[in-house]
Amino acid sequence: MAASESSRYLARSLPRAFVPTARPQGFCLRRNVSDQASSKAAPADLNELESASSLTSTTLSEATAKSFDPIARTKARKKQLPRSRYQFRSPKYDRGPLHPHQPPPPSDPSSRLYVPGPFSLPRVEQTYQSTVASDILTLCYVHNPPGFKPPPKAPRLRSWDDSSPYHKNRPLRGPRGGDVLRLLRKPINFNNVPQLERITIHSYVKQAAQENSSWLHVAGMAVQAISNARVETFKSKTSVATWSIAPGRDTVAVKAELRGEDMLHFFGKLVDVVMPRIKDWEGVKGSSGDSSGNITFGLEPENVALFPEIEVNYDMYPPKMIPGCHITIHTSAKTDKDARLLLSAMGIPFYGKMVD
Amino acid sequence: MSSGSNGARRIASVLRPSIADPKVCRSCQETLVRRNYSSAAAQPSSESTSTATTTFPVVKPVYTINAGVALSRPPQITRDLSQFEKAYYFYQKRLNERLALPFTKYFYFKRGTPADEDWKRKIRERQTAARDIGKYNAYSKDAWNDELLVGAVEAEPEHQVEMLVQDAEATVNATSQDTSKKEEIPRPFPRVTEADQKNDQRSLNRALQRTLYLLVQTKEGYWRLPSSPVEQDETLRLAAERTLAQTAGVNMNTWMVGFHPVGHHVYNFRYPRVDKANGTEHLGEKTFFMKARIMAGQADLAANTQNLQDFKWLTKEEIAPYVLPQYYSNIKNMLAER
Repeated sequence: MAASESSRYLARSLPRAFVPTARPQGFCLRRNVSDQASSKAAPADLNELESASSLTSTTLSEATAKSFDPIARTKARKKQLPRSRYQFRSPKYDRGPLHPHQPPPPSDPSSRLYVPGPFSLPRVEQTYQSTVASDILTLCYVHNPPGFKPPPKAPRLRSWDDSSPYHKNRPLRGPRGGDVLRLLRKPINFNNVPQLERITIHSYVKQAAQENSSWLHVAGMAVQAISNARVETFKSKTSVATWSIAPGRDTVAVKAELRGEDMLHFFGKLVDVVMPRIKDWEGVKGSSGDSSGNITFGLEPENVALFPEIEVNYDMYPPKMIPGCHITIHTSAKTDKDARLLLSAMGIPFYGKMVD
Repeated sequence: MSSGSNGARRIASVLRPSIADPKVCRSCQETLVRRNYSSAAAQPSSESTSTATTTFPVVKPVYTINAGVALSRPPQITRDLSQFEKAYYFYQKRLNERLALPFTKYFYFKRGTPADEDWKRKIRERQTAARDIGKYNAYSKDAWNDELLVGAVEAEPEHQVEMLVQDAEATVNATSQDTSKKEEIPRPFPRVTEADQKNDQRSLNRALQRTLYLLVQTKEGYWRLPSSPVEQDETLRLAAERTLAQTAGVNMNTWMVGFHPVGHHVYNFRYPRVDKANGTEHLGEKTFFMKARIMAGQADLAANTQNLQDFKWLTKEEIAPYVLPQYYSNIKNMLAER
């Protein structure tokens, strides 16, 4: 004990250079990133990597490339190659995690759930990334000076005042003036700039209940044509005698939900092809929206016919059967004001009194 | 936010007690006072006494505050795809062709019409309904052969556009009554413009895929974004608008994005300049850049009041060699990557 103590004091009193260290002081093998930035040449193991990508490298001679014909090679083969993983078929039913035959993940092309894509980089997405997002970020910036403390807010759910013994263990009261809890709007940052999430195209076909189902078939074809997505059909939930619908009896509506690439292409067509050609159209009403960042507007049947996919074979749709539709644009904005800022930046006009 | 309430705000700040924090600017102090009145109400007695006791003049070093404008033209067209993106999208298209249900021809072409005949001829040629994936039959025995060989052009967007246009031309010519003249469908405009080829950096019609920024050259030969000192009782945004009118003229339809600056640049003089009249020490310049977009028009230096020589519309990378390194490192993060 005493010996170790004294040696510690000794080591502290000696100059740094004489103190024995655990590490050998000789040749240092440790490498740092900063050491090899530019002063030394790249190490030998990195030289083995190809600098060019395999897509552009043209080390192959012209003649070899020209003569390569996979179909001819296959034909010339005398014996069939053994079957490969290419023949794998995903099981039709998922029999649980303990079954030996497991389906591949949905991202695997051999899976039954696989959906190919994306097929392009949509223009709307590029415009959003390069122009719209940064502008919204600048527009929504709120400067809080140093020393700023946000004023205390009342709790969203109020507590009971315990004036009655029956208040014990009750759930909290809803907000004053109504029992709807609105979404919390956080300050807009670089990582929560509002963007498009999905678009819903919904079409209620009145004649589907009153006349025959052909109206619904045509509406489904039209919505599928303009949206590039499968439609769902819906039955009526209410009973309205004048529309001759009863709950659960009549299939009256079709709906398509668009996400990702489909949504962006649809939005581009809507804004740049269809909307400028609508006659006497002022824009989307400023009071539209569900006050949590989703904006809805309607298109008349003659406006739906302006979509290029319907125009190209307009004659194949029975006259007067092309449906009108409601288009809901779901954004990640938390208030209608932010959603309207995003949509007007992306080209949708709004008119009238803006209701936030 | 609007500049109209500025006078009213100042009157209100005089009436209200202020928090004298030297790090917080005038308008921010007003914000602090306005927002948490509860905390401000407790403070003023001590603060006002402390400010009243300092009778001798305190000389603070002074910076000139400049308002700068980062006037930009956003990208006009989509960007070029990388080699990998082209190959990936093309692969996905052929894969989709193999997995999707076949094209419902009867819905698009009535039997016996010229359009139907035209369709039959085309499908015999390219064996698929898609017009941009080359000759590929997804339902044949050789459908496995879906990869492109070296030097194939099918994945290039220019080739795909050309195929689409030729297809439309063939349809128009095959279905029209008048067989004597050939219809020409206009090609899309080239993605590289004349200004790009001439490298005319004053033109707004160049580098359509990129964001362009307006740079001006001072009398001394330095390149910088347009800027000028903020005058008395002027907000940053008003100063930026005035700067733009004084430097690049009024022949531009511009839009100032918001009321807050997006970047700033501090320039310190090598030796502080002392003003003889009131003994203040002048240390340098601080420039705050407002973001602006040009909608129409073109910069014009004919009527500028800052003795500017020249202007250029440059992308982010092109700005670097023109401006001083310190200046570029200060502004580069507010410039758009694309």
